[in-house]
Amino acid sequence: MSEFLGYVRPNGDVGIRNHLLILSGTVYANGVCERVADTIHGAVPITHANGRCQVAPDLRVTRRFLAGSAMNPNVGAVVIVDHFREEGMTAEDLADDIAPTGKPIATVNIRGDGGFISAVDKATRYAQDFARQISLDAREAAPMSKILFGTECGTSDTTSGLASNPANGLAGEILIAQGGRMLMAECTEWMGCENWLTDQAASPAVAQAILAGVQHMEARALASGEDIRGSQPTGDNMAGGLSTIEEKSMGAVKKIGDSPIVEYLEIAEAPTKTEPGNYLMYGPGMGAESISSMAAAGCQVLTFCTGGGHTSNHPIMPTIKVTGNRQSFELMRDTVDVDVSGVFYDEITLAEAGQIVYDEVERVCNGYLTKSEALRDNNSFAIHRVGPSI
Amino acid sequence: MKKVFVVYATDNVGTAVLEPIHTGDHVGCNGERSDLEVIALAEIAYGHKIALMDIAQGDTVLKYGLSIGTASCDIKEGEHVHAHNVESNRGRGDLADRKAVTAE
Repeated sequence: MSEFLGYVRPNGDVGIRNHLLILSGTVYANGVCERVADTIHGAVPITHANGRCQVAPDLRVTRRFLAGSAMNPNVGAVVIVDHFREEGMTAEDLADDIAPTGKPIATVNIRGDGGFISAVDKATRYAQDFARQISLDAREAAPMSKILFGTECGTSDTTSGLASNPANGLAGEILIAQGGRMLMAECTEWMGCENWLTDQAASPAVAQAILAGVQHMEARALASGEDIRGSQPTGDNMAGGLSTIEEKSMGAVKKIGDSPIVEYLEIAEAPTKTEPGNYLMYGPGMGAESISSMAAAGCQVLTFCTGGGHTSNHPIMPTIKVTGNRQSFELMRDTVDVDVSGVFYDEITLAEAGQIVYDEVERVCNGYLTKSEALRDNNSFAIHRVGPSI
Repeated sequence: MKKVFVVYATDNVGTAVLEPIHTGDHVGCNGERSDLEVIALAEIAYGHKIALMDIAQGDTVLKYGLSIGTASCDIKEGEHVHAHNVESNRGRGDLADRKAVTAE
């Protein structure tokens, strides 16, 4: 069983990065968060459009996304900023959610602390202290079984289901053999191959939950009164040769290997089990929301399989882009990390492609920067909505 | 000879993952159907699908051995198979709406 060098947290979780997170509690605190993060070495802001005028079930999901992101093992310390007195989700509520992880937390309230300038002042001083405090943390050896490996696909084309996704599934199997866990979301893209997934379910209850999740997502599509083609598959999926959601799904579920599906999770919910294997999560095919839900569930690393090439990168969860389309790799050489198109040209076998993906994941777990991390293109934080703004 | 990729032996479509196929090209298959050869009746772009046999309107279009939809018209062996001649059977809010209207 192999090991990696990571940041061991007080609760036993192990991070592969040691980020100082500046977390915005509401849309109206985004400006302060960005200003603080601009000033402090290594600080990463998470900003978003939520936190105000949401119905309760929707606000609960937002809270899971925000608190979960801060609880992610890749975060070493967090400064939370909110603007006045939110009902149902204050900075203190978020701090309470995060507190069991034992990591340093500070909260700032823009009105309570005397306005924008004073809030920036206070938050920047907290952030400076935390940045220096966590700079003392050193990487230590930890087993690969500590890794929760998220996987996503986006801007898929027909190469995805034939090369990058099955290679990724094999990479997941290599991790699972060492005691690790793999997480896949995007239940829109299980439509049409539910039977493959229910056959892998570790229990009838998990199988039932998978079917119910797909049914719920399909009902959302049906309620729109329109054919989902155009949004699922997306226009670029269809340009790439994918004709229907069923065809897209078959390629998409190849992202996980053949190991049992241990647990089914609600969106942005952390696994309750530690058994090695595959884990599935309810959620949309929308990439930024999906990968943010997996970061909130605790994934330290994510592979993003893409046929057409993709720019997605999460602010605190390294996002490794893998393609089976050689042209996309050439066009997106500064953005896409791994090219497994060799399987089509008899240069490598699918098994070798799986090992190539796994090796990249292991390197990134040890600190190797992804291409998008090096570019600081942290574009993919988004929160799934389950209710309207009111 | 140009080749398309066939995932599962019962599939009635193959995918152009090596190079685009041009009208009149003789096309072989790798993957599960190396025995099969067809003549392309249309331009098949990179990543797109070609019919490996005649598929009648209403027949199931198979890839990975599973349904990716239903043929919305007769498709001849060698033709391009895509959204213009395959209908999805899932997530069809447009059909759900039509049914609701019919029920009234």
